[in-house]
Parts: sequence; structure tokens; C-alpha cells
Amino acid sequence: MAIKVRIPTPLQKLTNGNAEVACSAKNVSELLDAIEKDYPGMKERLSEDGRVRRFINIYVNDEDIRFMEKEATVLKDGDTISIVPAIAGGGSKRKPRG
Amino acid sequence: MLKIKKTDLQVLFDHCLAGYPNEACGMLGGKNGMVEKVYCMTNAKPGPDYYEMEAEEQFRVMKGIRDAGLEMIGLFHSHPHGQAYPSSVDVNQAYWPGTELPNYPDAVYVIATLMDLAHPVARGFSIEEGKVTEVPVVIVD
Repeated sequence: MAIKVRIPTPLQKLTNGNAEVACSAKNVSELLDAIEKDYPGMKERLSEDGRVRRFINIYVNDEDIRFMEKEATVLKDGDTISIVPAIAGGGSKRKPRG
Repeated sequence: MLKIKKTDLQVLFDHCLAGYPNEACGMLGGKNGMVEKVYCMTNAKPGPDYYEMEAEEQFRVMKGIRDAGLEMIGLFHSHPHGQAYPSSVDVNQAYWPGTELPNYPDAVYVIATLMDLAHPVARGFSIEEGKVTEVPVVIVD
């Protein structure tokens, strides 16, 4: 049994239209590498300098990895990963807060 | 076109007014362009010119919408001091970081202006491929 990764609509072009892909990894960092191997371009979309991009949230079985071990969050077969872009904006031209 | 009941629109306005002078935000669950439920949500970084949905709540509500057999047909937020039109920040944030790929291509971005507190006004937009297009918000009984 592998890890199931739910792919958000804007990235499905990179996964040949698949809304869900499977891969094997021991933690989130490895997952980024594994998914890049199968679907080139994914790692750059999801991370920057090895860290998950700001405004991209990753959940392991409904738990936000920011409140777990972030990129070191341990994964096991049967886990479901959700990738969810943040929803934000603002009324002025001020840049989003970091 | 996005259809919304007058009572649901009032729920949206009340939430936006409760957040004043800061921005407020939420989601619209529905089907076939008709809003069936307004989800009033937490602005995790409240400011008069910024909103960011609380991430855990966003995830939970998106799941709740699916579980209810609905779709996330709209996203709303207020502009307490500005026009009901997407700002450059709104447009940038509608895309996957570093791309022009819309994060939620099926969602109408509804913006409520509170410039006249007694008479809030909501307008809808699609934000795709660098283009902002108005989507009429139609009030139904």
C-alpha cells in the first residue's frame, strides 16, 4: 500500500490530469523528491529551498504538517496527503504578510 | 452568474460588517451557480487591507462542503475601505505561487465593499489567466 496524494486542480497538468497519485516516501521531504521523479516540475511548484512554499498547505490525514514536524513529518503507507493552496488577498497594493 | 438568496447575502454582509474595520472572509457552498450555504470564516491575519483564511478552518470547511454534497462555488471577502473590485493582491493570491494557474478556477471571487456601511455592495469576479472578468451576482428570493 502506498501513500495517496491528492493533487489540486492547478497542478493536475503536471500529473497528466490525475487528481490523485500514489508514491512511497518516509517523510514529506522524501515525498517531494518522489513526486518530482514521477512528475517533473512538481517539487518546484510545492517547495522552495527544500521548504514547502508559503501559501501552500500540506495535510497528512487531515493534520497540517506545520503543526507536526513540517518537512520532516513522518509518513507511512496508507496515509493520504492533501495539498491545499491558501486563500488570501487584500484591498490594497501592500504585499502579503510573510 | 452567481445566484444568492437575499437572506444569505445578508449573512455575508453581517459577517463582513462584524469584521469591520478589518477585512472578513468566507466561502460559498452551492450547486449550479446557486449559493446554498454561506460559510463565515476566520481572518487569520486581520487587517483593514488583508485577509488570509485560517488554514485548518479552510481545510475543514472545504471538506464540509464536499461532505454536504455541495461545491465551493464562491469565495468572499470584504474591502472595508475600497471598491468591490479585485486588488492586485487579490489577483496575485488567486494563482498558484509563481504562476498564472488559478488555484480555484471554479470559484467566483465575491468582494463586498463597506465604503457605505449602511449599504454594502457585493460583486463577483472570475480571476483567470491574468484576466479579471465580472460574474454577475443575482439576488433571488
